Amino acid sequence: MTDAATATPAMTAPPQRLPWWRRLLRDRAALMALVVLVLIFAAAALAPWLAPYDPYASSRKVMLPPAWAARGSMDFLLGTDPQGRDILSRLLYGTRLTLLIGLSSILVGGLLGSFLGLLAAFYARLDPWIMRLSDVLLSLPAILLGLALVAALGQGIMPVVLALVVSTIPDCARIARGIAMGIMKQEFIEAGRALGLPDRQLFTRYLLRNAISSILIFLSLRFGQLILIAASLSFLGLGARPPVAELGMMAAQGRDFFLFAPHIAVIPSVLILIIVLAANIAGDALRDVLDPRLQT
Amino acid sequence: MKPPVLEAMNLSKHYPVHKGILNRQIGAVQAVSDVNFRLMEGETLAIVGESGCGKSTLGRALLRLSEPTAGNVLLDGKDITTLPPGQLRDKRREMQMVFQDPFGSLNPRMTVRETLLEPIILHKVATGAAAEAMVSDLLKTVGLSDFHAGRYPHEFSGGQRQRICIARALATKPRIIVCDEPVSALDVSVQAQIVNLLQDLQRQFGLSYVFISHDLAVVRHIADRVAVMYLGRIVEMGDAETIFRDPRHPYTRALVAAAPKPVPGAALPDRAVKGDMPSALNPPSGCAFHTRCPIARDICARDRPDLRETAGKQVACHFPDEAATIPASVAAPMSGVLQQRLAVLDRRRAAQG
Repeated sequence: MTDAATATPAMTAPPQRLPWWRRLLRDRAALMALVVLVLIFAAAALAPWLAPYDPYASSRKVMLPPAWAARGSMDFLLGTDPQGRDILSRLLYGTRLTLLIGLSSILVGGLLGSFLGLLAAFYARLDPWIMRLSDVLLSLPAILLGLALVAALGQGIMPVVLALVVSTIPDCARIARGIAMGIMKQEFIEAGRALGLPDRQLFTRYLLRNAISSILIFLSLRFGQLILIAASLSFLGLGARPPVAELGMMAAQGRDFFLFAPHIAVIPSVLILIIVLAANIAGDALRDVLDPRLQT
Repeated sequence: MKPPVLEAMNLSKHYPVHKGILNRQIGAVQAVSDVNFRLMEGETLAIVGESGCGKSTLGRALLRLSEPTAGNVLLDGKDITTLPPGQLRDKRREMQMVFQDPFGSLNPRMTVRETLLEPIILHKVATGAAAEAMVSDLLKTVGLSDFHAGRYPHEFSGGQRQRICIARALATKPRIIVCDEPVSALDVSVQAQIVNLLQDLQRQFGLSYVFISHDLAVVRHIADRVAVMYLGRIVEMGDAETIFRDPRHPYTRALVAAAPKPVPGAALPDRAVKGDMPSALNPPSGCAFHTRCPIARDICARDRPDLRETAGKQVACHFPDEAATIPASVAAPMSGVLQQRLAVLDRRRAAQG
């Protein structure tokens, strides 16, 4: 037996733990999803500089297929739409609007909803009130609410964002409450009380800190859903008003020409798919690196 | 004589039970009823009883982790049952708790350092570099090392975690620690380490323990005094030595008899206590134990016996002298084969010297 073996194993110093971003970069799928997301966000943000054409100007070349197709032209990499507008340019501007709608509604709705849910779990006497409020909101389907809001406020981005926020709040509240209830039952909450911690610290350090990663993963999944709902709303003709470009609306416009010019509908749809998928994978990876229990 | 550091006076905790759409109260679970005891400085008072007898509820009510329904808790002779939350928080510095589940009672998102710093900063025991030094001292006190401070609870074994919990309880320099089954989730070998650690700390810091346990072997080892609980009430209380040597309540006798003994070949009584514990929602009339008691008579179902001074301890039984005749253990003769084997082992041990 060597000297090292006779010492308590715990007495040897542990290897240094990697910082969270280094661990994130080690996960291949997550890395790819992140790169894709960053690229899409950057492209959307830089749309005015990246777009080769004015997204609203017609080129007289109508329904041109993408460059790789037989009749395609290198001048219009992704082809043109029925009005002869460059699809690549419209895609860049459309992504910008879609992401903006998705992000603003997930931020406002997610924050409000999660906070309400955590509060309901933390203070049992608030629970029935918050949950009845969330039940009321839950009974309003996002698409119907969007229709109603558009009727009341007129067509535009605001009613869509409002409808998405309202539909996100009860979902987030329910999920956050469920996560928080599980945490509140654990003994360390009582241990914190026994130490004499004031409610505010118990809420942030014990409850929020343990709930945040599960809530984050839900929000990232929900972000994908919101993009889909936003796209569906503009597919139905709500939200963005033509000629403004928005991914869902672009897909809707391509619907009529699907048989002889499928690229008009398919290209924005594929982009929606990529954004949603990347957001989900990145959210999953984020949870893995944020949860100390899942680390090896 | 010094006043007791902690005193419970007629402490009760009842949980109301609601039913129906009108949410009417249909009864109450009487988890703890009329408990009285005094805890002296440097003393260990063990509270024993089977699962569901209210011993954990009692521990929580003592610290006001759940508000007592009636009665008072006195800390150094001052009532803490009516303190407003702010002042109660200050008093928590004096009384800490160690929980049963070392896996659940540490915040998984806080490193050991954060966990230990929290009470130190909160109760202004120390600040800055002094607080950091204290964390390192605490870790040493409970037998851990400095480099453990940067780790998260899930990186430790059960015994190590319980050491961290003990360190956290010590951080505010309390005088009383309520230990709620602190070793029942641990291996027997680790149990011994933790119990010894608790005893060392008691000598070192003059701590008083309320030691809640169902494990009579551990209690016998650590306790100065023992209170036996049955269905929310103390049925027998006295020095550990006399309780174990000469239990006078039929329930205590049954408990002592049911505890495994480190004697090879010793048989357990066929059935120590018959039946299950009655519901605390609807406790039996009179003496709560009369439904299972081997010496119960008519009076037992009618009148509840109070705790009375008997044979050097307090017993709540109408017939404590008769109870003393119930066999507390059954001695069985060792079989011949076992005796031979033990003899072989003894010779070996002697040969190895």
